[in-house]
Order: sequence, then C-alpha cells, then structure tokens
Amino acid sequence: MKAEVLKGHLDGLILAVVATGPAHGYAVIEELKQRSGGAFALPEGTVYPALHRLERAGLLASDWSDAAGRRRRVYRLTRSGKRELGLRKDEWRQFSTAVEAVLA
Amino acid sequence: MIEDLGRELGAVGIRGRLRRRIVAEFRDHFACDPEAELGDARAIARQFADELGTSRSRRAAFAAFGALGVAGIVYTVAFVAANTLGRSDLQPRSVLLAGLASVTAVVAPQVAFVAGSLALLRALRARGVRALPAGELQVLARRTSLALACGLATMGAVALLGYEYAVHTGMAFTGAAIGGGALLLAAPALLSAARVRATAPGEVGDVFVDLGALLPERLRGDPWKLARAVALVVGLGVWAAGIAMADPIDGFLRGIVEGLACLGGFALFGRFLGLRR
Repeated sequence: MKAEVLKGHLDGLILAVVATGPAHGYAVIEELKQRSGGAFALPEGTVYPALHRLERAGLLASDWSDAAGRRRRVYRLTRSGKRELGLRKDEWRQFSTAVEAVLA
Repeated sequence: MIEDLGRELGAVGIRGRLRRRIVAEFRDHFACDPEAELGDARAIARQFADELGTSRSRRAAFAAFGALGVAGIVYTVAFVAANTLGRSDLQPRSVLLAGLASVTAVVAPQVAFVAGSLALLRALRARGVRALPAGELQVLARRTSLALACGLATMGAVALLGYEYAVHTGMAFTGAAIGGGALLLAAPALLSAARVRATAPGEVGDVFVDLGALLPERLRGDPWKLARAVALVVGLGVWAAGIAMADPIDGFLRGIVEGLACLGGFALFGRFLGLRR
C-alpha cells in the first residue's frame, strides 16, 4: 500500500498497536507490518516522528528502559490516547461502512 | 546513518536531550534490525523539525495570549485607577519620559492585542495540522513576538507612569511586575519554537485565512479594503464613545486619529504580520 494512502491513518494505527501493550519503535513498526500482513510497510523512519507527535499531543507517554545494555524508549497509551483511539475506531467504522455501501 | 541523522537534526535546530533521544531510538532500531531501511536522514530530520516547529509555535501563541490576558488585567486596573484619580494638577518628574510612557501606554497595548489575537487565530486555524509551511511558522512567530514585545513595553510604560507622577507607584510597580512576569514566562515557549528550523513548503495565508467565514463576502479578497472598513468601524466607535461621554468634538477627532492609526498600523505591519502578501 502506498505510504501516502496510509499517512492519514498512521496515528490511529499506531495508537491501536500501542493499545495492546507498551512497545518501542521497532516493535510498533513490526507489529504494524505483521497485523496488516505486510500491506503496511511504511518507510520506517517516518514512524518515529509520528510517535513523538502523539506523545506531544498527550496520546502516548514514554519512558526509557534497558534492553541488553541499550537504552530503549518504550511507549504506552495514555487515557486521552485510549479515548482518541475509540473515536478513531468509530469514525473508521462509519467511513468503511459508507464506502462498502457505495462500492457494493 | 545514525551519524548523519545526528548532524541533520542539529542542522534543523534539534539539539540537546531531544536529539540524543531520537538518535538513541534509531540506534536501538538498528540494533534490532541491522538491515532496517529507515530512510533518508535529512528527510527524517526535516519531518521532525516541521512537526516540532508547528506544535511549539502553536503552543507559544497560546502561551503569549494567556500572558497578554494577565497583562491586560493589570493594564485595565491601571487605566481605571488613573481615570478615577481625577487630578489634573499632577506634574511628572520628566515631561519627556512621561510623554513617551503615555504614548507607549496608548499604542503598545493595541498592537499587542491585535498581534496576539492574530497569532491565536492562526494557531487555532492550524489545530490538527501536523506540519505548517515554514512561511506560516514565521508569521506565527512574528505575531507572537510582537505581541510579547508590545505587552512588555506596555507594562514598562505603566511602571514608568507610576514613577513619573508619583501616584499609586507601588501598585504600578507591582502590577507591571506581575504582567511583565507573565509575559516573560511565555517567552521561552517562543524561543524554543524559534530554535527549530522548519522547511515544509507551502503557501503563506493572509488575513482572510485568519478570519475565514467570519468576514462578510463583500470584504473578502482585498486586504486594503478590509483595512479601510476596520479603520472606519474603529473611528466611528471612538466617535460614538465620545458622544456617549458628552464630548462629540473630542470623540470625532480621536476617532479620526484611531482610524488613521489603524491604516498606519496596517501599512507598517501588514506584511510583517502576514495580513497581506
């Protein structure tokens, strides 16, 4: 899938991935790829600015952790992030139902 | 790539702790997958800068407007106190300084209010936008900095007038310190926004982007036409206030001065504040 198509949905997808449990950048990207069956193969570097943006917006929070002697930034969903994810899911359901209805 | 990224982040003004954090995250990513394709370091650094610059500029505009609110209360209290004093026999220590402070106390708060409101409007319009064009961020920074500078000048004028006329001096100093302190507290947000060098391309909007649908159709399109209309409304408003205070001639003259000041301000700051192209 083209990165441009994905761009508008990236924030919601990241929130959905982090909602399943705290994760670092690489794990978020891998999970996105895995859950989408490889369809969401983004330019990986673009996910980090999105993670930072979501954190600035208060939808994610992050902390350092240690992984094999390396510093690793682990992201988790905040309460606002949970709310936002719910809103995005509702919006997406309405949108996809409408598109389905038209395409069918 | 990691070295390039560190350098590129520095080039766009992302330094210190944030740069170290971003580099550490990318280093961790490469440790997980040495073959990872993270993309062009410059493009990633610019994406960080564009988004960070946008959110910081917005925050600076909100902080400045909040601080102007505090300064506005101080100014209103000072204005009311000066008007209820009812003494025309007071002599300043220095006519020149008192005159300068008086002019500043009249002009600067108006400029601060207009610039701060315009910054707030543009920041509100940009809510939900990930990355504003670099030109838009420059306009936002100019509006915010002019608002803060004029707010500080106003607080300085309030303190100076209190000193010059030796009335309510303590209150003037305290008020100016509170208002000035609030404005200074908003300055770091502006400085941190200014440090980031965004590069996102795109059109820079004018006053019609700020006001959008708030304007009647007839006033859209020509910024000078709008400026003339605003000057007329302001002039008539001041004249009406003069009539209400049983001084229509003085009100009329002040209305003309205010209207001309509006047009002068538009000519002087119109481009700088992104009101016209």
